[in-house]
Amino acid sequence: MSDTQAQGQRTTASDRPVGGSLRLLPPVQGATERLSAHLARNGQARCRGTALVRAVGQAGLTGRGGAAFPTDVKLAAVAGASGRKAVIANGAEGEPGSVKDAVLLRHVPHLVLDGLQLAAEAVGATEAYLYTGAWLAGWVRQTLAQRADDVPVTVIEAPPRFLSGQETAVVSRVSGGLSLPTFSPRRVSERGVNGAPTLVQNVETLAHLALIARHGPDWFRQLGTPAEPGTTLVTVNAGGRRTVTEVELGTALADVITAVGTAVLIGGYHGTWLPMTTALSLTLDNRALRRHHAALGAGVLAVLPRQACGLVETARVTRYLAAESAGQCGPCLNGLPRIAAAMAELAGPRPRRGTVQAVERWAGLVTGRGACHHPDGTARLVRSALTVFEVELGRHANGRCSATTHHPVLPLPRAEEMPLTDEDWL
Amino acid sequence: MINSAVLWYASRSAGAVALVLLTVVSAFGIAVNRQARVPGLPRFALTDLHRNLSLLAVAFLAAHVLTAVLDTYVSIPALAIVIPFASGYERFWLGLGAVGLDLLLAMIVTSLVRGRLNRTAWRAVHLTAYLCWPVAFLHGLYSSGDLRQGPLFDLAIGCALIFAGAGTWRLVSAAGRLPRARRVAAELSAAERERQTSRSPRAPQGPRR
Repeated sequence: MSDTQAQGQRTTASDRPVGGSLRLLPPVQGATERLSAHLARNGQARCRGTALVRAVGQAGLTGRGGAAFPTDVKLAAVAGASGRKAVIANGAEGEPGSVKDAVLLRHVPHLVLDGLQLAAEAVGATEAYLYTGAWLAGWVRQTLAQRADDVPVTVIEAPPRFLSGQETAVVSRVSGGLSLPTFSPRRVSERGVNGAPTLVQNVETLAHLALIARHGPDWFRQLGTPAEPGTTLVTVNAGGRRTVTEVELGTALADVITAVGTAVLIGGYHGTWLPMTTALSLTLDNRALRRHHAALGAGVLAVLPRQACGLVETARVTRYLAAESAGQCGPCLNGLPRIAAAMAELAGPRPRRGTVQAVERWAGLVTGRGACHHPDGTARLVRSALTVFEVELGRHANGRCSATTHHPVLPLPRAEEMPLTDEDWL
Repeated sequence: MINSAVLWYASRSAGAVALVLLTVVSAFGIAVNRQARVPGLPRFALTDLHRNLSLLAVAFLAAHVLTAVLDTYVSIPALAIVIPFASGYERFWLGLGAVGLDLLLAMIVTSLVRGRLNRTAWRAVHLTAYLCWPVAFLHGLYSSGDLRQGPLFDLAIGCALIFAGAGTWRLVSAAGRLPRARRVAAELSAAERERQTSRSPRAPQGPRR
């Protein structure tokens, strides 16, 4: 198995950044929307402060970073705290299959930065941070220099780690530490950056918030489903490309996935494999996906083409996830490498009998036993692979494999980009 | 009124059991710290065993000190349980016992509220275990002659060897310890090596189609 595909989170020439836009992305594709164009298209924010918190609640906006937590609840929690407060726009995007945050920051940085200012104002924060990869940090600083913001924004570089966007890891890095998940009984909305109550929102969530401040909750609800209103950005991984598309929640998946394949990975590398036939019958919202134990996550969809083997691809990803463990919690540090090695065996010819049962047992043992959800997400991915690729498991037991190519499909960073020292988390 | 001899023997035997338990708790604590494996036990079970045995040791210590105080053959004031050197009888050696008990109680209390405590503070208190065991051992050895003769002497020597052995191993393995970031890579390559070497020899080399 060779992990030589040179794809990090950075958008590459082979990516087709924007596949479709509705609200967030500008109508003219491929270009950055300048401040004047942004104001001409979106106008000025009319709803601010505590009224905005209410409007966001009426709009039913949920976090677009993966957890789909109600945004107004987080806003109200930090707004209700006293003393020094902070807001962080989270654009770390550690997920190799996702480029939507990068596309958003590249194309409509002013919409995101407006959202950051409005959120800071609404919760009464005096410090604002934008946390994103090193290749975008300089770009965001240049953009900030063109603006006259009330709350000064500090750009913090996120290391290219899978877990660097995890909420407590974000707060740790912004506070000056390593971007490692921490275990604390206090939420970051009570005790975040250097002890200050902190609001951490994904950059896409802030962009939606900036639009709600302009057009109101009723406008926001015109698209999407009643339970999950609005639009969302998805990154479709197909044919070696990552394409970012803005879709309504509740859109038929058949309209989003046009590539041919045998299965779809939904929700990124902590997500769930579904057979293509199942996926094409579903709609893109958590209510529909939940019935199949899947979730939208950060909106990553990856198509497994006919010529690839789902077990080989899952084994590659599992090895990557094991290597990206922060190494802090025993079940994750010890369990994930074992699961990864067993998955590599299952991806090869004639695995020993009992290996599937061992993987299932270990997946159960690591679930729920980490400071963050890294072991849970990895176990979810592996379990769904064992279910969806059951026929393929039988082929491998007979020394066969349905793959007709050894070319890797799912994007992963190069092997030499794997973390080895603490500095890799800085 | 309970017969004084009963209390006397109860106190001595509870003390001896507590010594054995504290030795095991210390050794398990070191194993937990070094992330070592005890054959037949998953790592989380070792952690639980370490915690539960320490609580059991406290129960035996409670029996040990209460019977010693209630026993009227020698007079030990109740305050001497926790206040070092407050007893007229065997002032120094009983005082060491009180020091050991205080340290143990501090470790237990900080561990019970560990979630609310900063890790460095908890660790600082917990490190006093390396003082607590020797102090308790000296107390056991010199408060009375029981541990210095016969089978109990062998038991005491055995406990001392286990504690010293575990402590030495801890120091040696801490010196050769991997930084956190390297541990993941080491575990990953170890798991892969283990899988490869234990594969059945009849497996063909590449996938057939």
